[in-house]
Amino acid sequence: MTTGSSSRERRPDGAALIIAAILAGLAVIIFWQTSQMRLPPLQQRVGPTVFPYVIASGLILLAIGTVISAMRGSFPERSKDNYAPIFWIVGGLIGQILLLSTAGFSIGTGVLFACTARAFGRGPLWQTFAIGTAFSFAVWFVFAKGLQLSLPAGVLERLLTTGTPF
Amino acid sequence: MNKLLLAALVTGALSAPAFAADYTIMAPAGPGGGWDQTARTMQEAMQAEGISGNVQVTNVPGAGGTIGLAQFATQENGNPNALIVGGYVMVGAILTNMSPVTLEDVTPIARLTGEAVALVVPAASDIQSVDDLVAKLKENPGAVAWAGGSAGGVDHITAGLIAKAVDVDPTQVNYIAYSGGGEALAAILGGQVTVGLSGVSEFASQIEAGELRLLAVSTDTRVPGFDAPTLMEEGVDVAVQNWRMVAAAPGLSDEQKAAITADVKAMAESATWQSALATRGWVDTYLDGDAFAAQLEADKSATEAILKDIGLVQ
Amino acid sequence: METFDLLAQGLLSALQVHNLIYALIGVTLGTAVGVLPGIGPALTVALLLPVTYKLDPAGSLIMFAGIYYGGMYGGSTTSILLNTPGESASIVTALEGNKMARQGRGGPALATAAIGSFVAGLLATLGLAFIAPFVVKFALSFGPWDYFALMVLAFVTVSAAFGDSALRGLTALFIGLGLGLIGIDLQTGQTRLAFNVMDLLDGIEVTTLAVALFAIGETLKTASDRDQANTEVTAVKGSVWMTLEDWKRSWASWLRGTFIGFPIGAMPAGGADVASFLSYSTEKTFSKKPEEFGNGAIEGVAGPEAANNASAAGTLVPLLTLGLPTTATAAIMLAGFQQFGLQPGPLLFANNAPLVWALIASLLVANFMLLVLNLPLIGLWVKLLTIPKHWLYAGILTFATLGTLGANGAMSMGFGPVRISFELVLLLAFGILGYLLRRFGYPIAPVVVGLILGPMAEQQLRRALAISQGEIGVLISSPISITLYVAAIIAVGVPLILRLRGQGGVLRQLATDED
Repeated sequence: MTTGSSSRERRPDGAALIIAAILAGLAVIIFWQTSQMRLPPLQQRVGPTVFPYVIASGLILLAIGTVISAMRGSFPERSKDNYAPIFWIVGGLIGQILLLSTAGFSIGTGVLFACTARAFGRGPLWQTFAIGTAFSFAVWFVFAKGLQLSLPAGVLERLLTTGTPF
Repeated sequence: MNKLLLAALVTGALSAPAFAADYTIMAPAGPGGGWDQTARTMQEAMQAEGISGNVQVTNVPGAGGTIGLAQFATQENGNPNALIVGGYVMVGAILTNMSPVTLEDVTPIARLTGEAVALVVPAASDIQSVDDLVAKLKENPGAVAWAGGSAGGVDHITAGLIAKAVDVDPTQVNYIAYSGGGEALAAILGGQVTVGLSGVSEFASQIEAGELRLLAVSTDTRVPGFDAPTLMEEGVDVAVQNWRMVAAAPGLSDEQKAAITADVKAMAESATWQSALATRGWVDTYLDGDAFAAQLEADKSATEAILKDIGLVQ
Repeated sequence: METFDLLAQGLLSALQVHNLIYALIGVTLGTAVGVLPGIGPALTVALLLPVTYKLDPAGSLIMFAGIYYGGMYGGSTTSILLNTPGESASIVTALEGNKMARQGRGGPALATAAIGSFVAGLLATLGLAFIAPFVVKFALSFGPWDYFALMVLAFVTVSAAFGDSALRGLTALFIGLGLGLIGIDLQTGQTRLAFNVMDLLDGIEVTTLAVALFAIGETLKTASDRDQANTEVTAVKGSVWMTLEDWKRSWASWLRGTFIGFPIGAMPAGGADVASFLSYSTEKTFSKKPEEFGNGAIEGVAGPEAANNASAAGTLVPLLTLGLPTTATAAIMLAGFQQFGLQPGPLLFANNAPLVWALIASLLVANFMLLVLNLPLIGLWVKLLTIPKHWLYAGILTFATLGTLGANGAMSMGFGPVRISFELVLLLAFGILGYLLRRFGYPIAPVVVGLILGPMAEQQLRRALAISQGEIGVLISSPISITLYVAAIIAVGVPLILRLRGQGGVLRQLATDED
């Protein structure tokens, strides 16, 4: 994961401090939620709250360790990442999630396919979308029709398998 | 690879011609379990008997069926072609999980099958009868470790009812929950627990092989094929049956409900269904209409009472 | 010996030409579906089982055996080449295997996986045939206290997968443990950390987490990393085949993996994932070049892959002898066996001898077919790496979402006419987590390990203490648990002592651990 040399001085490491805060936040959520639990009066020596408290305490310790590590600047050097491809892929996944129920598997996954290809610099979108939709339809046909996997069907799937869009 | 898959799917597609009145059956459990098998057997019977041309089974596993139930109730409102398989376990799970969706939110159609809970001990155990078990339980309730399915399920309820019937505090029952009958079976065979509870069919082959001793069955009548008394016969006033049912969507008209009931009844009386029951060892306890509604109500209140006694529900 | 006669008869029927063809079709289908990133063996078997119903019992049995072994094996290919395991048991394969693939040694990694799977499958299937009753007795003798000790050992040895920082490794592990808390507590039926979301009641699905962290996280990292996005991967450097050195380093790992995998697969609460974790750390301990671990050590592929496959055969031991399905795959198989007229249980070998031996013979044949099919294909599989990245990763995401949707992706939430699959939302969220972990140098595998082992350890500890009525001594009351704790102490202690001797000073050791 690490690239480049670690000679550049960066301390304290801001991102690492944020990680520590997130870990501490997780611990607080676990503590709080567990304290809200209703304990059934069962025969229980180790009840359902013991492990959550242990794990939350561990997370607190790790948060402290992360703070110390951040102060020392001992986190590995990070590569310089492009954020645009991430937005494309995350956007593609969100698009797929929203489209599946209405547009069906092929079109929804076609969007994901096109956005992912775009993230890797391949376009134009209309072309990769067409390729992705065709590919997803073939996959849908094999798995949903051939192997009875339950995958969402939309207009395209119905049109191509029964001849009517309904 | 694609050619082979295509060959497989062509054979699959040809065997299912499209008719009207296509049912979709939801099994609110993963593939392979009891509810899934019930749904798939229904699918087979309905298609073979021409009741419905094309039946689809979907699986929505989790949380004693309450995840599937919630999804079914919200999504299928008014759909006369949607069915869901369920059972007694769901009644308990709705209470323990504080499920926002209950059986009131669907249209129960009919009870299909029932199974007795078997009370077993390992062959090497010194417990020979229900009396021995009761004596041990009265002496020190904590020393009797019961193994069964998840907390609040039919096995746990049976253990609680037995304790209550013999005047032992149900909250003192030392119940060890296992995920699925298989893991519990291993713990019983390994002698790590005192007594085991699960559906009779889960233990059948071990009982037959003499590795487990069947102390009693939980139903009010004996189970054919097993040489064991009922709990009632042994003086413990408990009768529990782990039944499975089929329900339809909420918001149906009386005509729609009647039509579905007629289809389910035709399915349950068909030769395909009956022969499947025989091969799978399920007992036909078909019940529909008002009789089923009354039984469901009775089960709900009894279950709520015992879960409160055990302490799982407030 | 009667057993040999029965096995020979079974083999004779399995070796008929039409049955061999069924085996080949089964292996091909199983591998073809199992190889897709994001689709694990349970889903593969569930999907393909109905295909076998159309044949006669012997034919369907043999095709089924092919599908099972093919599905178990298929996952390793994409784990190694693309770092996208479809299920938890291939995660450790991805650790070293993908490093090897990136160095152009994908061929030898695939070969040691294929041959290791074959060796393990062969030995474990023979074990199933000849020593099943003893193995099952041993497996049943494991009480909850023994399982807890096994989990402790597994936790201790997980540090083998921590990479270069104990702090970041532990953090990843605790994130997994925290995720493992979500859902209904089995012992009391109470919900924990579900935030009133119905879909969280059953907890986080291991497959979803694994596919998200690896397949989605890897895609995000590769796309965003300026250095990685533009580099051409060298598909093959040197030979596609294993060198003499590779053979020397692999054979003992295959055997160790088999001996770990088979009994653990047979345990009611064992499973292929636990076996593969233990095998990985064993290999690291035994390796003459432990420094190569994390950078593509071939033992780290050979051992876990053998363990994984041996445990697949091990799973059949309790399934056939007790009718006890111990994994999701086994539960699906149990339904399948009933279709073939096999009633698994203690009387199976007595009542259904010909069918059982036909199954065991089928497994042997399928195992052999798998090797025959896959060794020549290695050269072709490696070409996967030469697919342009935009098509490759678009395809990976297609299959990753397909597998998640198909296994668990019910459209459970909705706003008006738009319904969404909560499982895909989780997939996306964990995918982003996977990217962030990679970006900040956290290891991925411990997160999944924590999710798997945490709930198991908790349940077993609580069961043990419930049975003993709170008596802590029960935890060290059996020879098995004591042995496992001793092994755990050795696993931690010996490397620590060696390192301390080498570097001197506890403080310095701790300080260097931090990095």
